[in-house]
Amino acid sequence: MAQLGEEQRTAGAAGDEAELVARLRAGDEEAFASVVEAYHPTMLAVARSHVKTRAVAEEVVQEAWLGVLKGLARFQARSSLKTWVFSIVVNTARTRGGREARSLPFSSLAAAEEQVPALEPGRFRPAGEAFAGHWQRYPADWSCLPEQGLLARETFDVVKRAVEELPDAQRTVIAMRDIAGCSADEVCEALEISAGNQRVLLHRARSRVRAALERHLDG
Amino acid sequence: MAESADHITCQEVVALVTEYFEGALEAEETELFEQHLNFCEGCDWYVDQMRTTVATVGRLREEDVPADTRTRLLAAFRDWKHQ
Repeated sequence: MAQLGEEQRTAGAAGDEAELVARLRAGDEEAFASVVEAYHPTMLAVARSHVKTRAVAEEVVQEAWLGVLKGLARFQARSSLKTWVFSIVVNTARTRGGREARSLPFSSLAAAEEQVPALEPGRFRPAGEAFAGHWQRYPADWSCLPEQGLLARETFDVVKRAVEELPDAQRTVIAMRDIAGCSADEVCEALEISAGNQRVLLHRARSRVRAALERHLDG
Repeated sequence: MAESADHITCQEVVALVTEYFEGALEAEETELFEQHLNFCEGCDWYVDQMRTTVATVGRLREEDVPADTRTRLLAAFRDWKHQ
């Protein structure tokens, strides 16, 4: 119930992925275009968290794609295609190094980024009072919202902006998990961070996007 | 975690929701978490809001890659194919 069917998804994905890799190797343009659509925006987020500017990040991703094509013949499915692709982005960004690299490695970014609580403490009854730590006022029941509210273009834009405005390490992790559909293990492997670190970043990112949605939906 | 082991507060539910989704809570913590949701409508709604958030972020994958980037990458793919 808690997990989102990770195992089934991965089991199904393994077969699909072998087929996808075979199509890519065979030079199937449609397969390549689908991979570009699926991974490119997240690759940009990954690159952005390793270099100083967006312009350099775009070059890194372009270079990483060439690396993917070059390496495709040697790709051995020891890790998933996604993990492999994102690792190439990380490595490409690192080899740029020098003036273009961030002063902090990714693993330290997480700690350095501002720590906003998931919700302002004022949303809960203060310590010392009866029911300390319980809601002052309940959050809204979104299942009562009209479906079109959540699906509206405006809502999509709110979420998009909220993700773009996240600190870099948080944006990278939420993009890999919730946009590119990576598993927690895949994120840890590609970014070389611990499971705990991955969860903290994901938690902060999702909490902030939820808060933006709440401001938009509950106005 | 809670100072008392027999329940967790709403504030703790909010702090633990990602670990709950990730299956990273101990069995005992999971039980306390779910017990809390059974009795607390506010937290049940909050957890539902987080699920909705995850699903809504997922819709960003429908976002198109800029046309010029796409064209450039497909050209690189064709070059690679003909090598």
